[in-house]
Amino acid sequence: MSEIGVLGLGNVLMGDDAFGPYVIKHLESAFRFPAPVLVLDAGTPGLDLTVHIRGLRALIVADAVKAPGPPGEVRLYRKADLLKAAPTLRMGPHEPGLREALLTLEFSGGAPEEVLLVGVIPDDVVYRVGLSTPVQEAVPAAVAEILRELDRLGAPAEPRKTPLAMDLWWEAVEGER
Amino acid sequence: MTDAWSSGQMWRGIEVILKGRDPREAWLFTQRICGVCTTVHAITSVRAVENAIGLEIPINAQYIRNIIMAAHCLHDHIVHFYQLSALDWVDVVSALKADPRATAALAETLSPWPKNGYREFAAVKDKLTGYVNAGQLGIFANGYWGHPAMKLPPEINLLAVTHYLQALDIQRQANKVVAILGSKTPNIQNLAVGGVANAINLDNPSTLNMDKLFMIKDLLTEVAAFIQQVYLVDVAAVAAHYPDWLGYGKGVTNYLAVPDMPLDTKGTQFDLPGGTIMAGNLGSVKPFTSFNDAYFRDNVQESIAHAWYDGDWSRHPYEEDTVPHYTDFDPAKKYSWVKAPRFSGQPMQVGPLAQMLVGYASGHELTKKWATVVLDTASSLAKTKLGPEVLHSTLGRHACRAVRCAVLSDLSLKHWGLLAENIGKGDLAIFNEPVFPSGEQRGFGFHEAPRGALSHWVVIRDGKIHNYQCVVPSTWNAGPRDDKGQKGPYEASLVGNPVADPQRPLEVLRTVHSFDPCLACAIHAVDAEGNEVSRVNVL
Repeated sequence: MSEIGVLGLGNVLMGDDAFGPYVIKHLESAFRFPAPVLVLDAGTPGLDLTVHIRGLRALIVADAVKAPGPPGEVRLYRKADLLKAAPTLRMGPHEPGLREALLTLEFSGGAPEEVLLVGVIPDDVVYRVGLSTPVQEAVPAAVAEILRELDRLGAPAEPRKTPLAMDLWWEAVEGER
Repeated sequence: MTDAWSSGQMWRGIEVILKGRDPREAWLFTQRICGVCTTVHAITSVRAVENAIGLEIPINAQYIRNIIMAAHCLHDHIVHFYQLSALDWVDVVSALKADPRATAALAETLSPWPKNGYREFAAVKDKLTGYVNAGQLGIFANGYWGHPAMKLPPEINLLAVTHYLQALDIQRQANKVVAILGSKTPNIQNLAVGGVANAINLDNPSTLNMDKLFMIKDLLTEVAAFIQQVYLVDVAAVAAHYPDWLGYGKGVTNYLAVPDMPLDTKGTQFDLPGGTIMAGNLGSVKPFTSFNDAYFRDNVQESIAHAWYDGDWSRHPYEEDTVPHYTDFDPAKKYSWVKAPRFSGQPMQVGPLAQMLVGYASGHELTKKWATVVLDTASSLAKTKLGPEVLHSTLGRHACRAVRCAVLSDLSLKHWGLLAENIGKGDLAIFNEPVFPSGEQRGFGFHEAPRGALSHWVVIRDGKIHNYQCVVPSTWNAGPRDDKGQKGPYEASLVGNPVADPQRPLEVLRTVHSFDPCLACAIHAVDAEGNEVSRVNVL
């Protein structure tokens, strides 16, 4: 059973919404993680997120966030920040997001004790493959925050001597794979 | 409510992204269309490509896909009922007034479920009381508590909240089956055009082996018990206490379901029947009989008369294009990103209700068995005889989703048995190599997904994707009017719904939720004076 989860959320087909999965692919290519750390491109699972985070001691999430500020700005949120606002009106399986998954687990049991959301402000979220320039440039800062948090949690990632190629299958065009 | 417009709020241009790519990789992309419906778009995509090149798959691959589909659907339906829509009917705050002993006594008359004891109910009531006393309802803070349309007695509310919590554990068990076979959730990794990538070796710890097979069987058995002893009973109890909602929400009564759970390598025999029913007449059922069914293939069209795309055509999916052209919300002209699918020119309702009615009308034994169980349970609680005619309704859609779960959990165990037996005979085949000839091939694949009939349509030229269209369940149900002005199922089902409090349009949510919406859309609802009473955003 994993103790610490590092999850990327977002849709790889929707422009800057791919930020979370992109960060995960970057982490997987450049670092090794100790056994209790789960590193996962979780897509846009809605409430199904509970399946992946229940029982974790700590959760780190990379995701695009709606917030005032310039595209590419990295914003950090802790669990209390996320739980402060009331949940949105339930309308469909996508609507419940990270906050609703955490609130559900707070009630049922199994919510992670510590949460860090490493958010980036997107430039555009449209049907397109690939990150915008400002969001692409924010990746190293977001990765640094995730590594710092893993250090603090006592589960530091170890840089690979020879980084693997990033498996950005969704960006590859014919002939490159 | 006298009229309604359903407006899809998000453009999906998957074919733009897929054009020119390798057909063998299309499923990796389509499973990202929707983060909740990942496996269904993956499986439908490989079926479409296999259909285009006439490729059969080994029977083991068929069974493995079937078990994944069934387990995913069980997970999805349980989450939909308990976590996403039960609170339209269940008043959490009212549960605080329940007597846990009376709840346990009532539960005992309804079901043998072992976790229906006094201790469980008392513990949940204590937990809820703590939340309310602390001045916050957490995950329940967004509900319509104390709404005049809430009718369940406190004991049933406490029972349902307790099952809400137990459902969180059970849906995780169903999801584990998908994870064991699919290598990973939410995005499975084990598919291939031509079969699956699950190497089978009963003695090898890193392949599909005896341990994993028995783990899957245990998980499916555990889920089946919850469905039979809890989900079916709860949905019957809700139906018995809201008899009005067995009348509201009927809408379009043309139904379409596709056959699924194939039993052979070609897709000519199925454990779940598919077909069409027109104008609510069960005697009109006409079947779809294979993965090559011409009645299905030749009669699907999509209309963009009221959708934000360039033109006003109705076309077959092979001939469609997707050129976005946004022009504001105008109910008289264009008002949605969703195209309007039609079958022989008719709007069709898809989903568990459609599938159960097609099964019932076709004499499918498992469907009849479980539909009878849920109707008999609801009848005895309501103290009035409820027959299959009540299923054409808002609560009928919920009841059929539970019936479908019972049918699928039986079938998932059956297909587990077929897989184990076939492996036991020494057949370990999982994959047939696809070959793409030069020139053009066209193919379609369908799957009876949790939200209903899903089809993918692919045109391949010289081994590359030339066109790709997904006609998804939520477009059948949530699509706008067509060129003849015929309403889509959401729109039609909302006409005649009561709305007690326009500021809190719980009744609109009830009917829209009963379809299990899975796309970004908005419902504009209008009262008798033509005023917009509510605009509900559905994401």
